[in-house]
Amino acid sequence: MATQIVMDHTGDTRHNFDTEDAKAVLKAEERFKTLTGRGFTAAVRNASGETTVIRSFDPNAEETLFIPRFVGG
Amino acid sequence: MFRQLSLAARWVRGLCGRLRTARPDASEARGQNLLKEWLSPEQLAQYTANGFFDVIGGDSGRRYRIHHGAAMNVVEVDEFGGARAGWCFMPRACLVAGDVMLAQKIALETNERGTLAIANNFTPDRRPHPSRRGQRIGTHLLR
Repeated sequence: MATQIVMDHTGDTRHNFDTEDAKAVLKAEERFKTLTGRGFTAAVRNASGETTVIRSFDPNAEETLFIPRFVGG
Repeated sequence: MFRQLSLAARWVRGLCGRLRTARPDASEARGQNLLKEWLSPEQLAQYTANGFFDVIGGDSGRRYRIHHGAAMNVVEVDEFGGARAGWCFMPRACLVAGDVMLAQKIALETNERGTLAIANNFTPDRRPHPSRRGQRIGTHLLR
């Protein structure tokens, strides 16, 4: 099971999907493309807790976090 | 300049507050949980104890202190914990404080240069937190 976490006004919205289910993985990939296309940054953590930004969908990532585009305050 | 930034930040906070759901406490709690899940153990301990945590910029190695909040809450600090400069940047969405702080952490760790390029600079309050007056950070005595 993997999770896509999208930051939003409710805190976050989580989309869980079964990495063994091809249809669910395809849907997750579509969500990845839609969100990054809208300017969201996708970030994952490795085993040591280090965060990296990814540009393409990683079906093996346990958690992918989507952050809205930044602006200066 | 500082006053304009302060007014803009207050306006953003007010707008976000009005747009938030009818269950703001639940949203805030969810944001806090997400932040705590993604902080390193050292950052989590620092945040729990002090209400801020430090982040090392991925490009320069500079240290930034992210205070609890959603605007004007990031301060670049020197090796003694003294404030050098304030940086104001946030996601372009109405997010709770936990989400904003987590987004700021990831932005500085993974894309420091790009983040500072869009951030606005402000003069931080150089006074130490009242509870820390008289304490040493490294070799620096807070007054």
